[in-house]
Amino acid sequence: MVESTPTNPTLAIDVRGARYVYPTGNVVALGGVDLQVAHGEIIGIIGQNGSGKTTLTKLFNGLLKPTAGTVIVNGVDTAKHSVQQMAAHVGYVFQNPNHQLFARTVRMELEFGPRNIGVPEDEITERVDEVVEFFGLQEFIEEHPYRVSFPVRKLVGIASIVAMRPPIIIFDEPSTGQDHNTTHIINGLMRRLRERGTTVVCVSHDMPLLADVVERVIVMKSTEVIADASPREVFADQALMARTNLQAPQVTQIALQTVVPLGGPVALTPAELAADIAQRRGKSARRGRTSSVAG
Amino acid sequence: MSMQAAMPIAMIPGNSIIHRINPLAKLVWVVGYVILAFSTQNIVILYSMALFALLLAPIAGVTKPLLKGALILVPVGSSLLALQIIAPAVERPWTAVDQIGPLVLYGDGVYYGFVLLGRIVASLLMALIMVMTTHPSDLFTSFAKLKVPYTLNFMLAMTLQLIPVFQREVGIIMSAQKSRGMKGTGFSAVLPSFVPVFVGAIERVQQLSISLESRGFGSDGIKTSYRQVRGRASDWVVGIVGAVVLITLSVVAITKGTWSLANEITFSPLFVLITFLIAATLFAGVILAAIAFSFKK
Repeated sequence: MVESTPTNPTLAIDVRGARYVYPTGNVVALGGVDLQVAHGEIIGIIGQNGSGKTTLTKLFNGLLKPTAGTVIVNGVDTAKHSVQQMAAHVGYVFQNPNHQLFARTVRMELEFGPRNIGVPEDEITERVDEVVEFFGLQEFIEEHPYRVSFPVRKLVGIASIVAMRPPIIIFDEPSTGQDHNTTHIINGLMRRLRERGTTVVCVSHDMPLLADVVERVIVMKSTEVIADASPREVFADQALMARTNLQAPQVTQIALQTVVPLGGPVALTPAELAADIAQRRGKSARRGRTSSVAG
Repeated sequence: MSMQAAMPIAMIPGNSIIHRINPLAKLVWVVGYVILAFSTQNIVILYSMALFALLLAPIAGVTKPLLKGALILVPVGSSLLALQIIAPAVERPWTAVDQIGPLVLYGDGVYYGFVLLGRIVASLLMALIMVMTTHPSDLFTSFAKLKVPYTLNFMLAMTLQLIPVFQREVGIIMSAQKSRGMKGTGFSAVLPSFVPVFVGAIERVQQLSISLESRGFGSDGIKTSYRQVRGRASDWVVGIVGAVVLITLSVVAITKGTWSLANEITFSPLFVLITFLIAATLFAGVILAAIAFSFKK
Protein backbone atom coordinates (compact mmCIF):
# COMPACT_ATOMS: atom_id res chain seq x y z
CA MET A 1 0.00 0.00 0.00
CA VAL A 2 1.39 3.38 -0.97
CA GLU A 3 1.01 5.98 1.75
CA SER A 4 0.22 9.55 0.78
CA THR A 5 2.42 12.33 2.07
CA PRO A 6 0.68 15.54 3.19
CA THR A 7 1.31 18.06 0.43
CA ASN A 8 -0.42 20.60 -1.73
CA PRO A 9 -3.29 18.56 -3.22
CA THR A 10 -3.45 20.73 -6.33
CA LEU A 11 0.06 19.70 -7.31
CA ALA A 12 0.71 16.59 -9.36
CA ILE A 13 4.47 17.03 -9.07
CA ASP A 14 6.19 18.95 -6.32
CA VAL A 15 9.97 19.06 -6.55
CA ARG A 16 11.85 21.05 -3.90
CA GLY A 17 15.60 21.47 -4.04
CA ALA A 18 16.11 18.13 -5.74
CA ARG A 19 19.69 17.15 -6.43
CA TYR A 20 21.02 13.96 -7.89
CA VAL A 21 24.64 12.94 -7.71
CA TYR A 22 25.69 9.63 -9.28
CA PRO A 23 26.84 6.96 -6.81
CA THR A 24 30.45 7.47 -7.92
CA GLY A 25 30.10 10.87 -6.24
CA ASN A 26 31.83 12.92 -8.89
CA VAL A 27 29.04 13.58 -11.40
CA VAL A 28 26.22 15.96 -10.48
CA ALA A 29 23.36 15.05 -12.78
CA LEU A 30 20.86 17.45 -11.22
CA GLY A 31 21.70 20.47 -9.16
CA GLY A 32 18.96 21.80 -6.88
CA VAL A 33 15.79 21.86 -8.99
CA ASP A 34 12.48 23.35 -7.86
CA LEU A 35 9.44 22.54 -9.96
CA GLN A 36 5.71 22.52 -9.31
CA VAL A 37 3.27 21.03 -11.81
CA ALA A 38 -0.48 21.22 -11.23
CA HIS A 39 -2.84 18.33 -11.92
CA GLY A 40 -3.90 18.27 -15.56
CA GLU A 41 -1.02 20.44 -16.77
CA ILE A 42 0.85 19.45 -19.89
CA ILE A 43 4.47 20.52 -19.81
CA GLY A 44 7.50 20.11 -22.02
CA ILE A 45 11.09 19.84 -20.82
CA ILE A 46 13.78 20.98 -23.23
CA GLY A 47 17.53 21.37 -23.06
CA GLN A 48 20.68 20.06 -24.59
CA ASN A 49 21.83 16.48 -24.08
CA GLY A 50 23.29 16.15 -20.61
CA SER A 51 21.33 19.08 -19.21
CA GLY A 52 19.50 16.83 -16.73
CA LYS A 53 16.10 16.38 -18.40
CA THR A 54 15.95 12.60 -18.20
CA THR A 55 17.47 12.54 -14.72
CA LEU A 56 14.72 14.92 -13.55
CA THR A 57 11.94 12.79 -15.02
CA LYS A 58 13.45 9.63 -13.57
CA LEU A 59 13.04 11.19 -10.15
CA PHE A 60 9.30 11.44 -10.81
CA ASN A 61 8.69 7.69 -10.79
CA GLY A 62 11.44 6.73 -8.37
CA LEU A 63 13.81 5.19 -10.90
CA LEU A 64 16.32 7.53 -9.31
CA LYS A 65 16.02 8.78 -5.73
CA PRO A 66 17.07 12.37 -5.03
CA THR A 67 20.34 12.62 -3.13
CA ALA A 68 19.02 15.86 -1.62
CA GLY A 69 15.65 17.63 -1.58
CA THR A 70 12.20 16.08 -1.99
CA VAL A 71 10.12 14.83 -4.89
CA ILE A 72 6.42 14.42 -4.11
CA VAL A 73 4.38 12.98 -6.97
CA ASN A 74 0.61 12.64 -6.72
CA GLY A 75 0.99 13.09 -2.96
CA VAL A 76 3.58 10.32 -2.67
CA ASP A 77 7.20 10.79 -1.62
CA THR A 78 9.15 8.98 -4.33
CA ALA A 79 12.17 8.50 -2.06
CA LYS A 80 10.13 6.26 0.25
CA HIS A 81 8.51 4.09 -2.39
CA SER A 82 9.68 1.60 -4.98
CA VAL A 83 9.33 2.10 -8.72
CA GLN A 84 6.72 -0.66 -8.73
CA GLN A 85 4.67 1.19 -6.12
CA MET A 86 4.99 4.42 -8.09
CA ALA A 87 3.83 2.69 -11.29
CA ALA A 88 0.19 3.24 -10.38
CA HIS A 89 0.84 6.98 -10.06
CA VAL A 90 3.31 7.65 -12.86
CA GLY A 91 3.56 6.07 -16.29
CA TYR A 92 6.93 6.33 -18.00
CA VAL A 93 7.12 5.88 -21.75
CA PHE A 94 10.72 5.01 -22.64
CA GLN A 95 12.28 6.33 -25.82
CA ASN A 96 12.98 2.90 -27.29
CA PRO A 97 9.95 0.56 -27.28
CA ASN A 98 12.28 -2.42 -27.71
CA HIS A 99 13.32 -1.92 -24.10
CA GLN A 100 9.93 -2.98 -22.80
CA LEU A 101 8.21 -5.30 -25.29
CA PHE A 102 8.47 -9.00 -24.49
CA ALA A 103 5.05 -10.67 -24.63
CA ARG A 104 3.88 -13.09 -27.33
CA THR A 105 1.15 -10.79 -28.61
CA VAL A 106 0.38 -7.09 -28.62
CA ARG A 107 -2.71 -7.81 -26.49
CA MET A 108 -0.64 -9.54 -23.79
CA GLU A 109 1.81 -6.66 -23.88
CA LEU A 110 -0.99 -4.18 -23.28
CA GLU A 111 -2.39 -6.29 -20.42
CA PHE A 112 0.96 -6.56 -18.61
CA GLY A 113 1.04 -3.15 -16.91
CA PRO A 114 -2.60 -3.00 -15.73
CA ARG A 115 -2.31 -6.54 -14.34
CA ASN A 116 0.85 -5.65 -12.42
CA ILE A 117 -0.90 -2.80 -10.64
CA GLY A 118 -3.87 -4.96 -9.71
CA VAL A 119 -6.55 -3.85 -12.17
CA PRO A 120 -9.47 -6.38 -12.25
CA GLU A 121 -9.52 -8.66 -15.31
CA ASP A 122 -12.76 -7.31 -16.82
CA GLU A 123 -11.46 -3.76 -16.52
CA ILE A 124 -8.17 -4.78 -18.13
CA THR A 125 -10.11 -5.96 -21.18
CA GLU A 126 -12.02 -2.69 -21.32
CA ARG A 127 -8.82 -0.63 -21.05
CA VAL A 128 -7.04 -2.68 -23.69
CA ASP A 129 -9.97 -2.34 -26.09
CA GLU A 130 -9.96 1.40 -25.56
CA VAL A 131 -6.26 1.91 -26.30
CA VAL A 132 -6.40 -0.49 -29.24
CA GLU A 133 -9.13 1.63 -30.78
CA PHE A 134 -7.42 4.93 -30.07
CA PHE A 135 -4.04 3.86 -31.45
CA GLY A 136 -5.56 1.95 -34.37
CA LEU A 137 -3.93 -1.32 -33.33
CA GLN A 138 -6.88 -3.60 -34.23
CA GLU A 139 -5.07 -5.40 -37.04
CA PHE A 140 -1.96 -6.02 -34.91
CA ILE A 141 -3.60 -7.15 -31.68
CA GLU A 142 -2.70 -10.84 -32.04
CA GLU A 143 0.67 -10.16 -33.70
CA HIS A 144 4.00 -10.57 -31.94
CA PRO A 145 5.20 -7.06 -30.94
CA TYR A 146 8.50 -7.63 -32.75
CA ARG A 147 6.74 -8.56 -36.00
CA VAL A 148 5.15 -5.13 -36.41
CA SER A 149 6.91 -2.10 -37.86
CA PHE A 150 8.94 0.18 -35.58
CA PRO A 151 6.37 3.05 -35.58
CA VAL A 152 3.62 0.58 -34.62
CA ARG A 153 5.90 -0.89 -31.96
CA LYS A 154 6.35 2.62 -30.60
CA LEU A 155 2.58 3.02 -30.41
CA VAL A 156 2.29 -0.36 -28.64
CA GLY A 157 4.87 0.83 -26.10
CA ILE A 158 2.93 4.04 -25.46
CA ALA A 159 -0.43 2.23 -25.41
CA SER A 160 0.89 -0.23 -22.82
CA ILE A 161 1.49 2.69 -20.46
CA VAL A 162 -1.74 4.54 -21.31
CA ALA A 163 -3.68 1.33 -20.52
CA MET A 164 -2.44 1.62 -16.93
CA ARG A 165 -4.26 4.99 -16.74
CA PRO A 166 -1.76 6.67 -14.44
CA PRO A 167 -2.68 10.19 -13.36
CA ILE A 168 0.74 11.36 -14.58
CA ILE A 169 2.47 10.25 -17.77
CA ILE A 170 6.05 11.00 -18.76
CA PHE A 171 7.08 10.76 -22.40
CA ASP A 172 10.80 10.51 -23.12
CA GLU A 173 11.42 11.66 -26.70
CA PRO A 174 8.09 10.29 -27.99
CA SER A 175 8.51 11.44 -31.59
CA THR A 176 12.20 10.66 -32.16
CA GLY A 177 12.61 8.56 -35.29
CA GLN A 178 8.87 8.43 -35.92
CA ASP A 179 7.04 9.08 -39.17
CA HIS A 180 4.51 11.87 -39.56
CA ASN A 181 1.54 9.63 -38.91
CA THR A 182 2.90 8.33 -35.61
CA THR A 183 3.86 11.83 -34.50
CA HIS A 184 0.33 12.96 -35.37
CA ILE A 185 -1.15 10.16 -33.24
CA ILE A 186 1.16 11.08 -30.33
CA ASN A 187 0.10 14.72 -30.70
CA GLY A 188 -3.57 13.65 -30.57
CA LEU A 189 -2.90 11.42 -27.59
CA MET A 190 -1.43 14.27 -25.58
CA ARG A 191 -4.48 16.43 -26.30
CA ARG A 192 -6.78 13.60 -25.26
CA LEU A 193 -4.84 13.00 -22.06
CA ARG A 194 -5.14 16.70 -21.27
CA GLU A 195 -8.92 16.55 -21.79
CA ARG A 196 -9.05 13.66 -19.33
CA GLY A 197 -7.13 15.64 -16.73
CA THR A 198 -3.96 13.54 -16.96
CA THR A 199 -0.78 15.40 -16.16
CA VAL A 200 1.67 15.05 -19.04
CA VAL A 201 5.42 15.64 -18.95
CA CYS A 202 7.10 15.46 -22.33
CA VAL A 203 10.89 15.47 -22.70
CA SER A 204 11.66 16.24 -26.31
CA HIS A 205 13.88 17.91 -28.87
CA ASP A 206 10.88 18.09 -31.19
CA MET A 207 10.09 21.80 -30.81
CA PRO A 208 7.14 21.86 -33.27
CA LEU A 209 5.46 19.07 -31.27
CA LEU A 210 5.95 20.93 -28.00
CA ALA A 211 4.91 24.27 -29.49
CA ASP A 212 1.71 22.68 -30.72
CA VAL A 213 0.72 20.75 -27.60
CA VAL A 214 2.23 21.89 -24.30
CA GLU A 215 1.09 24.77 -22.12
CA ARG A 216 4.36 25.30 -20.36
CA VAL A 217 8.01 24.78 -21.23
CA ILE A 218 10.78 24.07 -18.73
CA VAL A 219 14.24 24.89 -20.08
CA MET A 220 17.22 23.11 -18.54
CA LYS A 221 20.89 23.89 -18.85
CA SER A 222 23.82 22.39 -16.99
CA THR A 223 21.62 20.36 -14.59
CA GLU A 224 19.44 23.33 -13.60
CA VAL A 225 16.11 24.83 -14.62
CA ILE A 226 16.86 28.20 -16.17
CA ALA A 227 13.44 29.12 -17.59
CA ASP A 228 9.85 28.16 -16.96
CA ALA A 229 7.23 29.89 -19.11
CA SER A 230 4.68 29.44 -21.86
CA PRO A 231 6.00 28.08 -25.18
CA ARG A 232 5.28 31.46 -26.79
CA GLU A 233 7.44 33.27 -24.27
CA VAL A 234 10.23 30.69 -24.33
CA PHE A 235 10.47 30.38 -28.11
CA ALA A 236 10.28 34.16 -28.57
CA ASP A 237 13.26 34.64 -26.25
CA GLN A 238 16.07 34.52 -28.79
CA ALA A 239 18.73 35.21 -26.18
CA LEU A 240 17.53 32.19 -24.18
CA MET A 241 17.50 30.02 -27.28
CA ALA A 242 21.04 31.08 -28.18
CA ARG A 243 22.26 30.56 -24.60
CA THR A 244 20.94 27.01 -24.52
CA ASN A 245 21.89 26.16 -28.09
CA LEU A 246 18.25 25.39 -28.83
CA GLN A 247 16.21 26.43 -31.82
CA ALA A 248 12.61 27.59 -31.78
CA PRO A 249 10.29 25.91 -34.31
CA GLN A 250 11.02 27.15 -37.83
CA VAL A 251 7.61 28.74 -38.10
CA THR A 252 8.30 30.74 -34.93
CA GLN A 253 11.67 31.84 -36.28
CA ILE A 254 10.00 33.03 -39.51
CA ALA A 255 7.35 34.86 -37.53
CA LEU A 256 10.00 36.55 -35.38
CA GLN A 257 11.72 37.86 -38.50
CA THR A 258 8.59 38.86 -40.42
CA VAL A 259 5.29 39.50 -38.70
CA VAL A 260 6.47 40.10 -35.12
CA PRO A 261 8.38 43.33 -35.96
CA LEU A 262 5.13 44.52 -37.60
CA GLY A 263 3.19 43.90 -34.41
CA GLY A 264 2.08 40.37 -35.30
CA PRO A 265 1.92 37.40 -32.93
CA VAL A 266 4.72 34.96 -32.09
CA ALA A 267 3.31 32.14 -34.17
CA LEU A 268 3.85 28.62 -32.82
CA THR A 269 2.19 26.71 -35.65
CA PRO A 270 1.96 27.18 -39.42
CA ALA A 271 -1.79 27.71 -38.98
CA GLU A 272 -1.21 30.70 -36.67
CA LEU A 273 1.28 32.30 -39.06
CA ALA A 274 -0.95 31.63 -42.07
CA ALA A 275 -3.93 33.19 -40.26
CA ASP A 276 -1.91 36.33 -39.46
CA ILE A 277 -0.63 36.63 -43.03
CA ALA A 278 -4.14 36.13 -44.41
CA GLN A 279 -5.45 38.80 -42.06
CA ARG A 280 -2.75 41.26 -43.18
CA ARG A 281 -3.40 40.53 -46.85
CA GLY A 282 -7.11 41.09 -46.25
CA LYS A 283 -6.43 44.43 -44.58
CA SER A 284 -4.03 45.40 -47.36
CA ALA A 285 -6.58 44.45 -50.04
CA ARG A 286 -9.29 46.47 -48.26
CA ARG A 287 -6.93 49.46 -48.04
CA GLY A 288 -6.17 49.06 -51.79
CA ARG A 289 -9.87 49.01 -52.66
CA THR A 290 -10.51 52.04 -50.42
CA SER A 291 -7.69 54.05 -52.04
CA SER A 292 -8.79 53.11 -55.60
CA VAL A 293 -12.38 54.14 -54.78
CA ALA A 294 -11.04 57.41 -53.36
CA GLY A 295 -8.83 57.88 -56.48
CA MET B 1 19.95 2.62 -8.68
CA SER B 2 18.80 0.39 -11.37
CA MET B 3 20.62 2.23 -14.11
CA GLN B 4 23.95 1.61 -12.48
CA ALA B 5 23.20 -1.79 -11.03
CA ALA B 6 24.83 -3.92 -13.64
CA MET B 7 27.09 -6.93 -13.33
CA PRO B 8 30.58 -5.55 -12.90
CA ILE B 9 32.36 -7.52 -15.60
CA ALA B 10 33.96 -4.77 -17.60
CA MET B 11 37.10 -2.71 -17.63
CA ILE B 12 37.39 -0.35 -14.66
CA PRO B 13 39.44 2.64 -15.88
CA GLY B 14 42.54 3.30 -13.84
CA ASN B 15 46.27 3.84 -13.93
CA SER B 16 47.47 1.28 -11.42
CA ILE B 17 50.56 -0.82 -11.95
CA ILE B 18 48.29 -3.74 -12.89
CA HIS B 19 46.49 -1.57 -15.48
CA ARG B 20 49.83 -0.63 -17.01
CA ILE B 21 51.11 -4.19 -17.42
CA ASN B 22 51.10 -5.39 -21.02
CA PRO B 23 47.91 -7.38 -21.78
CA LEU B 24 49.93 -10.33 -23.05
CA ALA B 25 51.84 -10.59 -19.78
CA LYS B 26 48.50 -10.59 -17.94
CA LEU B 27 47.17 -13.20 -20.33
CA VAL B 28 50.15 -15.43 -19.56
CA TRP B 29 49.15 -15.30 -15.90
CA VAL B 30 45.47 -16.08 -16.60
CA VAL B 31 46.26 -19.02 -18.88
CA GLY B 32 48.93 -20.23 -16.47
CA TYR B 33 46.48 -19.97 -13.58
CA VAL B 34 43.90 -22.08 -15.40
CA ILE B 35 46.47 -24.71 -16.41
CA LEU B 36 47.91 -24.97 -12.89
CA ALA B 37 44.47 -24.95 -11.23
CA PHE B 38 43.37 -27.91 -13.29
CA SER B 39 46.72 -29.73 -13.00
CA THR B 40 46.79 -29.92 -9.24
CA GLN B 41 44.60 -31.06 -6.38
CA ASN B 42 46.80 -29.36 -3.83
CA ILE B 43 44.55 -27.05 -1.85
CA VAL B 44 47.48 -25.11 -0.43
CA ILE B 45 48.54 -24.15 -3.96
CA LEU B 46 44.98 -23.49 -5.11
CA TYR B 47 44.06 -21.18 -2.24
CA SER B 48 47.46 -19.47 -2.35
CA MET B 49 46.70 -18.70 -5.99
CA ALA B 50 43.28 -17.33 -5.03
CA LEU B 51 44.82 -15.26 -2.22
CA PHE B 52 47.49 -13.87 -4.56
CA ALA B 53 44.80 -12.87 -7.08
CA LEU B 54 42.81 -11.28 -4.28
CA LEU B 55 45.86 -9.29 -3.16
CA LEU B 56 46.18 -7.83 -6.65
CA ALA B 57 42.66 -6.36 -6.43
CA PRO B 58 43.46 -3.46 -4.04
CA ILE B 59 46.63 -2.72 -6.00
CA ALA B 60 44.49 -2.43 -9.16
CA GLY B 61 41.74 -0.54 -7.28
CA VAL B 62 39.09 -3.04 -8.31
CA THR B 63 38.33 -4.71 -4.96
CA LYS B 64 34.67 -3.71 -4.80
CA PRO B 65 33.67 -4.64 -8.37
CA LEU B 66 35.76 -7.81 -8.13
CA LEU B 67 33.95 -8.95 -4.99
CA LYS B 68 30.64 -8.04 -6.61
CA GLY B 69 31.48 -10.13 -9.67
CA ALA B 70 32.70 -12.98 -7.44
CA LEU B 71 29.27 -13.16 -5.75
CA ILE B 72 28.36 -15.77 -8.34
CA LEU B 73 30.66 -18.08 -6.33
CA VAL B 74 28.20 -18.16 -3.42
CA PRO B 75 25.58 -20.44 -5.03
CA VAL B 76 28.21 -22.29 -7.08
CA GLY B 77 30.59 -22.89 -4.17
CA SER B 78 27.93 -23.74 -1.60
CA SER B 79 26.20 -26.25 -3.87
CA LEU B 80 29.54 -27.79 -4.80
CA LEU B 81 30.63 -28.28 -1.20
CA ALA B 82 27.26 -29.56 0.01
CA LEU B 83 26.99 -32.08 -2.83
CA GLN B 84 30.59 -33.27 -2.43
CA ILE B 85 30.02 -33.96 1.27
CA ILE B 86 26.96 -36.13 0.65
CA ALA B 87 28.17 -37.65 -2.65
CA PRO B 88 31.98 -37.41 -3.02
CA ALA B 89 33.39 -37.56 -6.54
CA VAL B 90 36.00 -40.15 -5.51
CA GLU B 91 36.08 -43.90 -5.59
CA ARG B 92 34.46 -45.84 -2.76
CA PRO B 93 34.84 -46.74 0.04
CA TRP B 94 33.83 -43.42 1.59
CA THR B 95 34.32 -42.61 5.24
CA ALA B 96 31.07 -41.62 6.92
CA VAL B 97 31.66 -39.07 9.67
CA ASP B 98 28.15 -37.96 10.59
CA GLN B 99 24.51 -38.24 9.64
CA ILE B 100 21.67 -35.70 9.46
CA GLY B 101 18.41 -37.58 9.00
CA PRO B 102 18.72 -39.53 5.75
CA LEU B 103 21.86 -37.59 4.70
CA VAL B 104 25.18 -39.31 5.42
CA LEU B 105 28.14 -36.92 5.50
CA TYR B 106 31.46 -38.22 4.14
CA GLY B 107 34.82 -36.74 5.10
CA ASP B 108 36.34 -37.70 1.72
CA GLY B 109 34.14 -35.24 -0.10
CA VAL B 110 35.23 -32.18 1.88
CA TYR B 111 38.73 -32.18 0.45
CA TYR B 112 37.57 -32.61 -3.15
CA GLY B 113 34.84 -30.03 -2.64
CA PHE B 114 37.48 -27.52 -1.56
CA VAL B 115 39.68 -28.53 -4.53
CA LEU B 116 36.91 -27.91 -7.05
CA LEU B 117 35.97 -24.65 -5.35
CA GLY B 118 39.62 -23.56 -5.21
CA ARG B 119 40.05 -24.16 -8.94
CA ILE B 120 37.02 -22.02 -9.77
CA VAL B 121 37.88 -19.27 -7.28
CA ALA B 122 41.52 -18.96 -8.37
CA SER B 123 40.79 -19.01 -12.12
CA LEU B 124 37.80 -16.68 -11.86
CA LEU B 125 39.52 -14.08 -9.68
CA MET B 126 42.58 -13.87 -11.94
CA ALA B 127 40.45 -13.72 -15.10
CA LEU B 128 38.24 -10.99 -13.61
CA ILE B 129 41.28 -8.93 -12.59
CA MET B 130 42.59 -9.16 -16.14
CA VAL B 131 39.25 -8.14 -17.68
CA MET B 132 38.84 -5.27 -15.19
CA THR B 133 42.30 -3.84 -15.82
CA THR B 134 42.70 -4.32 -19.58
CA HIS B 135 41.21 -2.19 -22.32
CA PRO B 136 39.75 -4.52 -24.99
CA SER B 137 41.50 -2.52 -27.70
CA ASP B 138 44.87 -3.08 -26.00
CA LEU B 139 44.20 -6.78 -25.98
CA PHE B 140 43.27 -6.54 -29.67
CA THR B 141 46.52 -4.74 -30.49
CA SER B 142 48.57 -7.23 -28.49
CA PHE B 143 46.97 -10.20 -30.24
CA ALA B 144 47.55 -8.52 -33.59
CA LYS B 145 51.28 -8.40 -32.76
CA LEU B 146 51.13 -12.13 -32.15
CA LYS B 147 49.68 -12.53 -35.68
CA VAL B 148 46.36 -13.84 -34.38
CA PRO B 149 43.96 -13.86 -37.40
CA TYR B 150 42.34 -10.44 -37.68
CA THR B 151 38.74 -11.67 -37.74
CA LEU B 152 39.20 -13.88 -34.70
CA ASN B 153 41.03 -11.14 -32.87
CA PHE B 154 38.33 -8.62 -33.72
CA MET B 155 35.61 -11.00 -32.49
CA LEU B 156 37.39 -11.41 -29.14
CA ALA B 157 37.87 -7.69 -28.64
CA MET B 158 34.33 -6.88 -29.75
CA THR B 159 32.85 -9.42 -27.35
CA LEU B 160 34.65 -7.79 -24.44
CA GLN B 161 33.56 -4.33 -25.58
CA LEU B 162 29.93 -5.36 -25.89
CA ILE B 163 29.71 -6.64 -22.31
CA PRO B 164 29.32 -3.17 -20.69
CA VAL B 165 26.95 -2.15 -23.49
CA PHE B 166 24.67 -5.07 -22.72
CA GLN B 167 25.00 -4.45 -18.99
CA ARG B 168 23.74 -0.92 -19.54
CA GLU B 169 20.96 -2.24 -21.76
CA VAL B 170 19.87 -4.65 -19.03
CA GLY B 171 19.69 -1.73 -16.59
CA ILE B 172 17.46 0.29 -18.92
CA ILE B 173 15.21 -2.69 -19.65
CA MET B 174 14.81 -3.49 -15.96
CA SER B 175 13.88 0.17 -15.38
CA ALA B 176 11.31 0.06 -18.18
CA GLN B 177 9.70 -3.09 -16.80
CA LYS B 178 9.72 -1.85 -13.20
CA SER B 179 8.02 1.32 -14.44
CA ARG B 180 5.18 -0.94 -15.52
CA GLY B 181 4.90 -2.38 -12.02
CA MET B 182 7.03 -5.49 -12.55
CA LYS B 183 9.18 -6.81 -9.74
CA GLY B 184 12.73 -6.02 -10.73
CA THR B 185 14.30 -9.15 -9.30
CA GLY B 186 13.83 -12.90 -9.19
CA PHE B 187 12.53 -15.38 -11.72
CA SER B 188 9.43 -13.29 -12.43
CA ALA B 189 11.73 -10.67 -13.98
CA VAL B 190 13.48 -13.10 -16.28
CA LEU B 191 11.06 -13.25 -19.21
CA PRO B 192 10.07 -9.56 -19.40
CA SER B 193 13.75 -8.61 -19.24
CA PHE B 194 15.34 -11.49 -21.13
CA VAL B 195 13.32 -11.08 -24.35
CA PRO B 196 14.16 -7.38 -24.92
CA VAL B 197 17.81 -8.00 -24.00
CA PHE B 198 18.03 -10.95 -26.39
CA VAL B 199 16.25 -9.17 -29.24
CA GLY B 200 18.31 -6.02 -28.63
CA ALA B 201 21.54 -8.03 -28.67
CA ILE B 202 20.67 -9.68 -31.99
CA GLU B 203 19.63 -6.35 -33.53
CA ARG B 204 22.76 -4.64 -32.27
CA VAL B 205 25.06 -7.34 -33.56
CA GLN B 206 23.28 -7.33 -36.92
CA GLN B 207 23.59 -3.55 -37.21
CA LEU B 208 27.22 -3.77 -36.17
CA SER B 209 28.02 -6.36 -38.82
CA ILE B 210 26.29 -4.28 -41.53
CA SER B 211 28.13 -1.20 -40.34
CA LEU B 212 31.46 -3.05 -40.36
CA GLU B 213 30.95 -4.49 -43.82
CA SER B 214 29.91 -1.12 -45.19
CA ARG B 215 33.22 0.25 -43.91
CA GLY B 216 35.27 -2.41 -45.66
CA PHE B 217 35.69 -4.93 -42.85
CA GLY B 218 37.31 -8.09 -44.20
CA SER B 219 39.16 -6.34 -46.99
CA ASP B 220 42.77 -7.21 -47.67
CA GLY B 221 45.69 -5.20 -46.43
CA ILE B 222 47.58 -4.57 -43.23
CA LYS B 223 45.35 -3.58 -40.34
CA THR B 224 46.61 -0.93 -37.99
CA SER B 225 45.38 0.06 -34.56
CA TYR B 226 44.84 3.52 -33.11
CA ARG B 227 45.99 2.36 -29.69
CA GLN B 228 49.60 1.35 -29.42
CA VAL B 229 50.75 -1.15 -26.80
CA ARG B 230 54.44 -1.41 -26.10
CA GLY B 231 56.15 -4.21 -24.25
CA ARG B 232 58.52 -2.74 -21.66
CA ALA B 233 61.23 -4.67 -19.86
CA SER B 234 59.04 -4.90 -16.78
CA ASP B 235 56.25 -6.48 -18.85
CA TRP B 236 58.66 -9.12 -20.11
CA VAL B 237 59.74 -9.81 -16.52
CA VAL B 238 56.12 -10.17 -15.35
CA GLY B 239 55.27 -12.45 -18.27
CA ILE B 240 58.38 -14.62 -17.98
CA VAL B 241 58.13 -14.93 -14.19
CA GLY B 242 54.46 -15.90 -14.53
CA ALA B 243 55.20 -18.45 -17.23
CA VAL B 244 58.16 -19.99 -15.39
CA VAL B 245 56.48 -20.19 -11.97
CA LEU B 246 53.14 -21.46 -13.23
CA ILE B 247 54.54 -23.94 -15.75
CA THR B 248 57.04 -25.28 -13.20
CA LEU B 249 54.30 -25.78 -10.62
CA SER B 250 52.07 -27.41 -13.24
CA VAL B 251 54.82 -29.82 -14.29
CA VAL B 252 55.62 -30.66 -10.67
CA ALA B 253 51.93 -31.19 -9.95
CA ILE B 254 51.51 -33.49 -12.95
CA THR B 255 54.64 -35.49 -12.14
CA LYS B 256 53.47 -35.86 -8.56
CA GLY B 257 50.10 -37.15 -9.77
CA THR B 258 48.11 -33.96 -9.06
CA TRP B 259 50.03 -33.36 -5.83
CA SER B 260 46.94 -34.06 -3.76
CA LEU B 261 47.08 -33.63 0.01
CA ALA B 262 43.93 -35.66 0.55
CA ASN B 263 45.76 -38.33 2.50
CA GLU B 264 47.75 -35.82 4.56
CA ILE B 265 44.81 -33.68 5.63
CA THR B 266 42.00 -35.11 7.69
CA PHE B 267 38.92 -33.15 8.63
CA SER B 268 37.27 -33.64 12.00
CA PRO B 269 33.61 -34.76 11.97
CA LEU B 270 32.66 -31.43 13.55
CA PHE B 271 34.39 -29.50 10.75
CA VAL B 272 32.62 -31.61 8.12
CA LEU B 273 29.27 -31.05 9.84
CA ILE B 274 29.76 -27.29 10.17
CA THR B 275 31.00 -27.01 6.56
CA PHE B 276 27.98 -28.94 5.30
CA LEU B 277 25.53 -26.90 7.38
CA ILE B 278 26.99 -23.59 6.20
CA ALA B 279 27.13 -24.69 2.54
CA ALA B 280 23.65 -26.23 2.57
CA THR B 281 22.16 -23.21 4.36
CA LEU B 282 23.74 -20.78 1.88
CA PHE B 283 22.60 -22.84 -1.10
CA ALA B 284 19.09 -23.32 0.29
CA GLY B 285 18.97 -19.61 1.09
CA VAL B 286 19.80 -18.68 -2.50
CA ILE B 287 17.18 -21.10 -3.86
CA LEU B 288 14.51 -19.98 -1.39
CA ALA B 289 15.22 -16.30 -2.06
CA ALA B 290 14.84 -16.91 -5.80
CA ILE B 291 11.56 -18.79 -5.29
CA ALA B 292 10.26 -16.14 -2.87
CA PHE B 293 10.99 -13.36 -5.38
CA SER B 294 9.26 -15.28 -8.16
CA PHE B 295 6.06 -15.60 -6.15
CA LYS B 296 6.20 -12.15 -4.57
CA LYS B 297 3.83 -9.78 -6.33
